[in-house]
Amino acid sequence: MSNWTGILSLDLENRNGKTVAKRAYFQGALKVMRPIYHDDSGQVCYYLLNPGGGYLDGDRYRMEISVDAGAEVILTTQSATKVYKTPKSLAYQETEITLKKGSLLEYLPDPLIAYQNAHYKQKNVIHMETGATFIYTDILTPGWSPNGEKFSYNTVQLVTEIYLDGQLGVFDHIKLTPGKHSISGIGFMEGYTHLGSMIVVSELTNNSLLDELYEMIQEESTDFKFGLSRLPVSGLSIRILAHSTQLIERIFDNCHRLIKKSWFETVPSSLRKY
Amino acid sequence: MDNNILPLFQLCDSNFPTGAFSHSFGLESYIQEGKVHDQETFFQWLKLYLHEQLIYTDGLACMLVYDALMNNEHSQIWKLDRMLTVQNLPRETREGTQMIGDRMLKLTETLYGLPILSQYRDEIRKKNSFGHPSIVFSMVAHSLGITKSNTILYYLYSAISSQVQNAVRAIPLGQTAGQTIIYKFIPELSEAVEKILKLSLDDFGIVSPGLELSQMKHERVNIRIFMS
Repeated sequence: MSNWTGILSLDLENRNGKTVAKRAYFQGALKVMRPIYHDDSGQVCYYLLNPGGGYLDGDRYRMEISVDAGAEVILTTQSATKVYKTPKSLAYQETEITLKKGSLLEYLPDPLIAYQNAHYKQKNVIHMETGATFIYTDILTPGWSPNGEKFSYNTVQLVTEIYLDGQLGVFDHIKLTPGKHSISGIGFMEGYTHLGSMIVVSELTNNSLLDELYEMIQEESTDFKFGLSRLPVSGLSIRILAHSTQLIERIFDNCHRLIKKSWFETVPSSLRKY
Repeated sequence: MDNNILPLFQLCDSNFPTGAFSHSFGLESYIQEGKVHDQETFFQWLKLYLHEQLIYTDGLACMLVYDALMNNEHSQIWKLDRMLTVQNLPRETREGTQMIGDRMLKLTETLYGLPILSQYRDEIRKKNSFGHPSIVFSMVAHSLGITKSNTILYYLYSAISSQVQNAVRAIPLGQTAGQTIIYKFIPELSEAVEKILKLSLDDFGIVSPGLELSQMKHERVNIRIFMS
């Protein structure tokens, strides 16, 4: 199907130590702002923008990102992804990412806010070669409704598939349907309202990094719950249940900082947007 | 008389040495946090574990593997083996499941000598596959001529009854309480099979964040009686 509400395609390469777009194309309700270089590392940062301000009934978005060997990219959004009510058909977003050996992609979108009766499906497919690094976070909020009721959305479904050298290496499938389950209780959200996920794939992953991350997260004193584990491929995943976006963002920022410092001896730039 | 069911009972028996009794799949984290502490709270946990995790992974895999065997599409089985393994993000439960699958495969290969089991072993040896109990179980059940829905039902029964055995030891509960739970759980198993028969590959691997998190947390539990 090609009837996209918004489509965006971005091919990036390393040109003399600086990452630049060799091709950038977007159409409809999806665009990128001009590239930003936060420091002199050559890493480029793109902010994704939904000019419509939110996803509507039946909207379909597609992003294709490819990063050549040696290119380094941060991809983020300008603000939270809002999915408004979808009375007829679900809002859908798919992202296909290709990472060549020696490339780095940090994909750090803002939280997802699904409105009352919204049905949203998101699919991320990442094809990477050994030697590439992929850092991904997402945050799922309890959504928004006029009377302040939490989890009033219909369905939120997030699928992430990561292929390493052509073989499926990570498969993550979250589908929350608040109407069907008592979602706040044991097994689901455990009494919390926000869910954060971080997935990192890189051959540089080792157990001492996991130990360091674990110790660091544990120092956080606010009420939250987390799990951290090694992936079947070289990499790690972190899940956080908390009561606010800010807390999850802070923890992921700290993790991101620690990972960048130990692998690249760099400090991530602030992505302040407001 | 349906004598073909007896060999499958052997696989469902908690004495069948697959090592399943060493894995709590996150239950121990809930017990240590005090959230699962008696018959009632365990029953609730077990319902979640079945309806929100097992049906989308092992249970759905039983059905899809059975279909693949009927259609002679072995590549589909190896694909499911990989999906089952890589969707299991908590390392302990992933490795634990792999160990159970491996032992079950060794045992059943010895007992039945089925070509499909040897083929599975080869795929694992070549590192194309990982090994999963629901796949081994479905292969054996299919070869015994058990129906698809009964294959799923018996697999779920064996997974659930070994968790009940674990809970009896870990919470602890009395033996009668354990048996009462299994008995009261039978309608849940039938309901789970009904749900699975309506699922497709698109539903595969849906996780419940809390359950998964408890399985990840278990990796950092110091005092433990279970490996996962």
